[in-house]
Amino acid sequence: MSEETPNLADAAPNLYDEQGNPRFFADPGMDRFVAVVMNLAQEVWVQEERLLALEEAKSGGASDKEAKVKEFIDRVFAPIREA
Amino acid sequence: MTVELQHPMKAQSTPDEVARSRFTSGMRSLILNDLAADMRSAYDRRAAPAFKKEHGRDPETSREAHQALRGDPAFNIYSTMRVQAQKMVWASVADGVERESGRLAAEAEKADGEGSLMLDPSLEVPKNVHAIDVHLMPGSYTRGDDSLEAGAVYDRGLAVFSMGLMGANLDDIGLSMSQYIKRRYPDFAPKRILDTGCTIGHNTLPWKQAYPDAEVVAIDAAPGPLAYGSARAKMQGQAVAFQQMCADDLAFESESFDVVWSSMFLHELSKKQRAKAFEEAYRVLKPGGLVVHMELPPNEQMSAFDGFYLDWDGYYNNEPYYKGYRDEVPRELCSRGGFDDAEFFDFVVPSIGIYGDQAVADAAQGDSSEGVGQKTTGRLAEGVMWYGFGAFKK
Repeated sequence: MSEETPNLADAAPNLYDEQGNPRFFADPGMDRFVAVVMNLAQEVWVQEERLLALEEAKSGGASDKEAKVKEFIDRVFAPIREA
Repeated sequence: MTVELQHPMKAQSTPDEVARSRFTSGMRSLILNDLAADMRSAYDRRAAPAFKKEHGRDPETSREAHQALRGDPAFNIYSTMRVQAQKMVWASVADGVERESGRLAAEAEKADGEGSLMLDPSLEVPKNVHAIDVHLMPGSYTRGDDSLEAGAVYDRGLAVFSMGLMGANLDDIGLSMSQYIKRRYPDFAPKRILDTGCTIGHNTLPWKQAYPDAEVVAIDAAPGPLAYGSARAKMQGQAVAFQQMCADDLAFESESFDVVWSSMFLHELSKKQRAKAFEEAYRVLKPGGLVVHMELPPNEQMSAFDGFYLDWDGYYNNEPYYKGYRDEVPRELCSRGGFDDAEFFDFVVPSIGIYGDQAVADAAQGDSSEGVGQKTTGRLAEGVMWYGFGAFKK
């Protein structure tokens, strides 16, 4: 498909599913899959903060976690910026 | 960034909970800044031209902008991620609130500052407050009945949700608005101020700070957030009288207040409740009194895309009255309530936390409605500015 042409086949047939949850992609599995990816990335970040805590304890230094979480999110989710 | 609340009921979170909150705020920042810009670009490059090709004209309304965007990959990814991030906001604080319920109750019990709390067990809490999980907040405003649970989830969740844009005490809206009114009307000296739909009173307290000699009363229909807000205010040395009451049925005498205020409240009322709330505000205001509301800017003042961008919550964030409110005209809301049409004014205030005191002072001296159409107005994202409107009672 051309970048300038919308793919309307990717629209969900209804705004909501049978349970009333918002639905965006034509395949409802995609909405759930994106949520799983976000939850998974969150848990990876939890582990990252644990590692940072250990490194800080060892070095006596402090890291800028706000800057690091931004770098982490930008890196992990870079592919979606291509939408 | 996630802010750390500045009162004794702030979370004593585990390191994992802190990490989850930080990540969630970071995700919201990505979505509301970067992915929002991507969606705008996709709208201009793909969605709007495709709509024009089919209809022979550009999208003209929020609804048409929505229609144009459905199915676009940038819209799909923005929307599905934003819904999930909203769920993560509340999930990131729920465990901590449950674990700390005993400590929260003990801290509230210790709060012995001025101020008061009056609950009304006979009040039937309206459906719009409890029947659905408003903005996907589990249990809505009545979670835990009249315990501190709903207030704590809201307070801590809002800290994650706001990404630092509402300040460490979540009071940027109240601070920006009250300082704007004080500077725009330097001779106005209210003696009695009413906040309607105050939730936990986070945007009530700035009015007490702006007008320390005034008696400040804050009402809400939900008992739990009021109980939490009362303790929260006492801990900060702010004397506020919290009362359980509905804005469309005020148990106050006529002509008994100088200001009736609300923040991000009108869009949570049905059209009928909203109309009645304006009539009630008019009734309880003294002549010369001021009704002033901070809210989302109306669709009539925005482009189709910008209007839809804000209406998104009405479709996908469990905000059933959001779009209906935004389709109404603030001037007409005031005039139907009884206010003289000539007394109506609306304005945009720069966030005092982002832009500083001087910017608010400059806005108070400037064109009242300048900036309503700017993309930062009403959007909780970098550079946010707040929309407000009101009228004096003649």
